[in-house]
Amino acid sequence: MSDAPIPVTVLTGFLGAGKTTLLNRILTEQHGRKLAVIENEFGEVGVDNQLVVSSEEELFAMNNGCICCSVRGDLIRILGRLLKRTDRLDGILIETTGLADPGPVAQTFFTDDEMRTRFRLDAIVTVVDAKHILLHLDRSPEAKKQIGFADVLILNKTDLVSPAELDALESRIRRMNTAAKVHRARNADVPLSAVLEVGGFSLSRAAELDPKFLQPQYPFEWAGAYMLPAGNHKLIIGHHDHAHEPGGHDHEHHHHQGNANELDVVIMPAKSLEEKDLAAARDAAVLVFADWENRVKSGEAVAPGGTLHRLLLEAGDGSYPLKIGQRGVYVVFEGCGEDPLHIQVAGETVRPSWQQDFEHNHSHEDDVTSVGLTAPGDLDPRRLNEWIGRLLQTQGADIYRMKGVLSVKGSPNRLVCQGVHMLFDGKYDRPWNGEPRSNTLVFIGKNLDRTALTEAFKACLA
Amino acid sequence: MNLIKHWAGQLDDYVIDLAWSPDGDRLAAASGAGPVMVFSAASGATASPLPGHEGGTNCLAWMPVVPAAAAGSPPSETAGGLPPPASVIFASGGQDGAVKFWDAATGQHTGTAALGKSWVEQLAWRPLSQKSEVRNQKSEEISVPPHASSDVRSLPSDLCLAAAAGRQFTLLNADASVRHTFPPAPKTISALAWHPQGGAVAVAYFGGVCLWDAGTFAAQKEFAYGNGIHALVWSPDGKWLVSGNQDPSVHLWLPAEDQEFHMSGYEGKVKHLSFDHSSHWLATSGGREVCTWDCSGEGPEGRDPTMLPHDAPVCAVAFQRRHGLLAAASEDGALQLWSPERKQPLRATMRLPAPATRLGWSPDDRLLAIGTESGAVFVLRCEL
Repeated sequence: MSDAPIPVTVLTGFLGAGKTTLLNRILTEQHGRKLAVIENEFGEVGVDNQLVVSSEEELFAMNNGCICCSVRGDLIRILGRLLKRTDRLDGILIETTGLADPGPVAQTFFTDDEMRTRFRLDAIVTVVDAKHILLHLDRSPEAKKQIGFADVLILNKTDLVSPAELDALESRIRRMNTAAKVHRARNADVPLSAVLEVGGFSLSRAAELDPKFLQPQYPFEWAGAYMLPAGNHKLIIGHHDHAHEPGGHDHEHHHHQGNANELDVVIMPAKSLEEKDLAAARDAAVLVFADWENRVKSGEAVAPGGTLHRLLLEAGDGSYPLKIGQRGVYVVFEGCGEDPLHIQVAGETVRPSWQQDFEHNHSHEDDVTSVGLTAPGDLDPRRLNEWIGRLLQTQGADIYRMKGVLSVKGSPNRLVCQGVHMLFDGKYDRPWNGEPRSNTLVFIGKNLDRTALTEAFKACLA
Repeated sequence: MNLIKHWAGQLDDYVIDLAWSPDGDRLAAASGAGPVMVFSAASGATASPLPGHEGGTNCLAWMPVVPAAAAGSPPSETAGGLPPPASVIFASGGQDGAVKFWDAATGQHTGTAALGKSWVEQLAWRPLSQKSEVRNQKSEEISVPPHASSDVRSLPSDLCLAAAAGRQFTLLNADASVRHTFPPAPKTISALAWHPQGGAVAVAYFGGVCLWDAGTFAAQKEFAYGNGIHALVWSPDGKWLVSGNQDPSVHLWLPAEDQEFHMSGYEGKVKHLSFDHSSHWLATSGGREVCTWDCSGEGPEGRDPTMLPHDAPVCAVAFQRRHGLLAAASEDGALQLWSPERKQPLRATMRLPAPATRLGWSPDDRLLAIGTESGAVFVLRCEL
């Protein structure tokens, strides 16, 4: 019993994606290590001298219908039997069927006492057939789930699609699962280090989230930074006055949601045009966008600061006085709208000194998405606890994975956490050691409400 | 009370199951890797191992002794055939999907029932009916079957072996032929338990227990249970049917009265159950204590269980067959003997070099056989 838990790697992916190729590759290259393979009943692992057990997937689904309570009975049985040997196994590889739900597989390793102590779920590796996945994504909730659950996504058979298609596919699956590591492969030829000892469920490695992938989506789709003098200026929406003048924000939007005659705008002051100051303004704006909106009719004033203005347009047009008290940089964040936006100073349209388009979360091509939340500062432990508890209880079925590194008021150490459906695991790890205290949290799941999550998260800030 | 090492043996791998011959002369021990060894109970002497099953052996079951009253003809009339006594035949189930029959005296493989692709994980011989009940002491009245095991005409017709492989449940005859194949269970069969009278066998799977009539092969009753079941046991008086569950809990049925009780609060799943001979005490694993329920009278509901503490999760429990001692082992290698009814229940403690996997009292309750994770087999003598 003193033995360290045996690492378990779960391979998922549709039929034909290349799971068996990857499995055979791992087995062939793992000289000297004793691995056991649990293959699905259609499996065809063909490496000599390996311990291969075929399993018919058997779901232990609970009467209450809660999918978060479901575990895989066949795995409990087979893994329990695999423990009954004197020479210790170095690892377990589980190949699921193409239609398998990774949730119960993962839950088996957290809810069953024996599985939890004797095994360690290392990672869910999902093999994606670059050529056929689009078809599967459109037809099959299982395919999306397998992508959503993954710690590692292997984009396989890349030689069968064009580079442009591949880029589009990769960005789509990255949007679905921002926390997974993505590897491209032709014949499942990825280094073993990419699929073994990944630590996907390890709390100490929850902190290794790549922040660049955590923030790909924002509640706004454009921002422009303007140098504005003090005075009474104007925020103009629409085509009247200076329609189609260069310098405005005039691009087309394809995915408009909600009322065409409403546009959400936040104006945040920034210390300078330096990247860190613009990022601070952006992060502040994210929180403001989660706030209640102030409805503003054409002719009524808007102001910089923490107010979410919902501009009420008349046939796509509106003009809003903007009073600037102090000269400086102001960043205007625009929600999704179809109408151009301009700032006029003394009747003249000014150009933004900096502007950026953002990946807006309204591109709902997939119902499986990632919601990344970041905020500087500390969280209130009691509110955080209540929120996470309530969230997992009410939406656990739709939350596939979560990972986070949080700063809790009163604790010198970082709180690292990870979860699968309703199962939540968290602990304090190392101290912040003078680095800025901040919070990073990512949820991956189905039908996630980014605004509600952002708002609730913000409410936990101390 | 003293536990004295009687002898020790060694298998090539984890001891996955043990079985005493009904006369108490032999002990069979199977390793997880496959081979089965048969030891002399008196000395620990052993012949070369039987090959067991390719891929691994899962379980053992020794054919019960056939007493004279049940045998077809008196032994004197059949002396010419020099048949092996029935008590030398045992069955094993393995990952090759087969049930194999072995003659412990000759070391011969005497028959095979191939049940399919699934692992054979459960085997249980039907208890012989009361009138032909297994005798505890050796006596001249115990007869031997008049023919070799391949010819079992003289064995009582009710002698049969219940075998489960995956979802398939089968009754086998003593010559390894199939007596009856039942409709597949809804999920993999995880436990079997014969009613002590031998009239029916309870078959457990995720979702419940089905009670099959051994004579008509019809389902007598179905007991729904909404979770996985790891262990199943009848009280020796046939009153209680008890499951040890994944959720983790113990569920008790009173089949005669259509009543059921649920006992939860365990730390982990309950994989091991044992009733004492008087049907009074039910010992259960599922934590760092042997949780022992008082099943006398109305049963355990509303009664506090007797908790017998270990320092690590309990991994095996076994009451004596005819006496009141409970042997329990935990994952730290400890073995403890308990008398649950006493104020000071702990009777003896012993430390094994590896955690126990199986505990088995000899038919006369004098010897305790212990299989361990390291492959060692110990037989201890229990002295007052």
